[in-house]
Amino acid sequence: MSREEILRAKDRSITHLRGILGDDAETVIAEERYGFISGLLRDVLKKPPIERITLSDKIDNVVINRWLGIPLFLALMYGMFQFVFTLSVPLMGWINELFGGLAGYASGVSPAWLSSLLANGIIGGVGSVLIFIPPIFLLFIAIAILEDCGYMARAAFIMDRLMHKIRLHGRSFIPMILGFGCNIAAIMACRTIENPKDRLTTILINPFMSCGARLPIYILLAGAFFTANQGLVVFSMYLIGIIIAIIMALVLRRSILKGPSGHFVMELPPYRLPTVTGVLVHTWERGRQFLIRAGTVIFGIVVLVWLLSSLPWGVEYASAESVIGKIGSFIAPVLAPAGFGQWEAAVSLVFGFLTKEVVVGTMGAMFGVGGGILGGTIATRLGWTPLVAFAFMVFCLLYVPCVAALGTIRSETNSWKWTGFAAVYTTAIAWIAATLIFQIGRLFIA
Amino acid sequence: MTVKTLNDLKCGERGRIVKIGGGGSIRRRLLDMGVVPGSEVKMERVAPLGDPIEIKVKGYNLSLRRKEAASIQVEAT
Repeated sequence: MSREEILRAKDRSITHLRGILGDDAETVIAEERYGFISGLLRDVLKKPPIERITLSDKIDNVVINRWLGIPLFLALMYGMFQFVFTLSVPLMGWINELFGGLAGYASGVSPAWLSSLLANGIIGGVGSVLIFIPPIFLLFIAIAILEDCGYMARAAFIMDRLMHKIRLHGRSFIPMILGFGCNIAAIMACRTIENPKDRLTTILINPFMSCGARLPIYILLAGAFFTANQGLVVFSMYLIGIIIAIIMALVLRRSILKGPSGHFVMELPPYRLPTVTGVLVHTWERGRQFLIRAGTVIFGIVVLVWLLSSLPWGVEYASAESVIGKIGSFIAPVLAPAGFGQWEAAVSLVFGFLTKEVVVGTMGAMFGVGGGILGGTIATRLGWTPLVAFAFMVFCLLYVPCVAALGTIRSETNSWKWTGFAAVYTTAIAWIAATLIFQIGRLFIA
Repeated sequence: MTVKTLNDLKCGERGRIVKIGGGGSIRRRLLDMGVVPGSEVKMERVAPLGDPIEIKVKGYNLSLRRKEAASIQVEAT
């Protein structure tokens, strides 16, 4: 039989079946399947005569209530950040003391270059990244609890109207939330979105969802420059990321990714009390990626930064005459309109492309200090005002996704074109946003 | 017996599914999730922003958009 004959035979069979069954095969199969199930259930299941109102229904009457739903959702998100920061402050203090003590031992080592590598490079650099273990793990715990108890599906239910308004799907909401943990995991989670244009848009805007690796930058700078409003400033970073993501979704969906969005048929599972093991497993799955990076990539980068800061031999550590100073001085003028045109800032941003928490580690290694006093050191050495720190944070939030996230975009879209697009457009938006904030802010503050 | 769409049900109202219109992947998905002719449904609630809606079908809670619900014909029970 030829191809055409087979196709004709298929069409004949479809018409024939529709003639006998009075409906299309899909419906008949589904009906029969559920018919069999309900028949079976009649035999084996005793149902209470009155329909019980479950505890889940009672909770939903409050949680996704018409008036309370959105305020509760926002309050939950805000409460989550407050929980994370309040709890992590004392823990970070302990880690800081630990690394301070280690650096003290290391400075007694000879020869001098080894002592410098240990104290300035490794302990300063790794210490300034590891200090962020408490907030990152606490945030992952909070996300895992919301996921495991069943609230995440409600969040999609509450947010779908808005997501649909920006021409996206309710399912795009879950990857967006996951983006707060790690964009790589989030971009991979976009696989559940069936509509190709919905999916590509969600992938392209995901890097604006502020991942856990950017958190160290905010905590450090907000802690040093906005002592009174730390939580609020960090919260505003997440909010700015969300707003930019929404704007870009609208722009993309109306220009290069035009087309209708997919359907929204989803179960709202009953609420469950999260188990300690479940939450810990989920937290660990995400958190270990941070630890692995801290132990491998970040460690390597920290040593590289130390080396570039010390070469050519004999220069003052991390001075403008060192190799790293020359690289930074080359890029710095481009960043000057955004307020942070110092070569140190440029260098840390270049290294941040490898993985974003390294922005902090690089500064730690360059200034030879780690943890708690690094923020103050930046303020004095670079002469930053709170406004500059804010513009810098916004730049870090928006600019090019880390190299691993770009790699994921490449494998998920199977296109170098979209990967290149993601790298370039995010950096352009970051520069524009940081420049606007600095230039407009300067008018009001000066 | 009045036939209307699932979208027309008020909160707390019940109905029996008569026909699922529409086509393509939405229809297939609804059938897979147990939204089949003959099923009892109950309108549970509407999302805070007015869309999507939540229904009870086959003893579990399902959410779908109003536009999708409008393609499902139900008879009031």
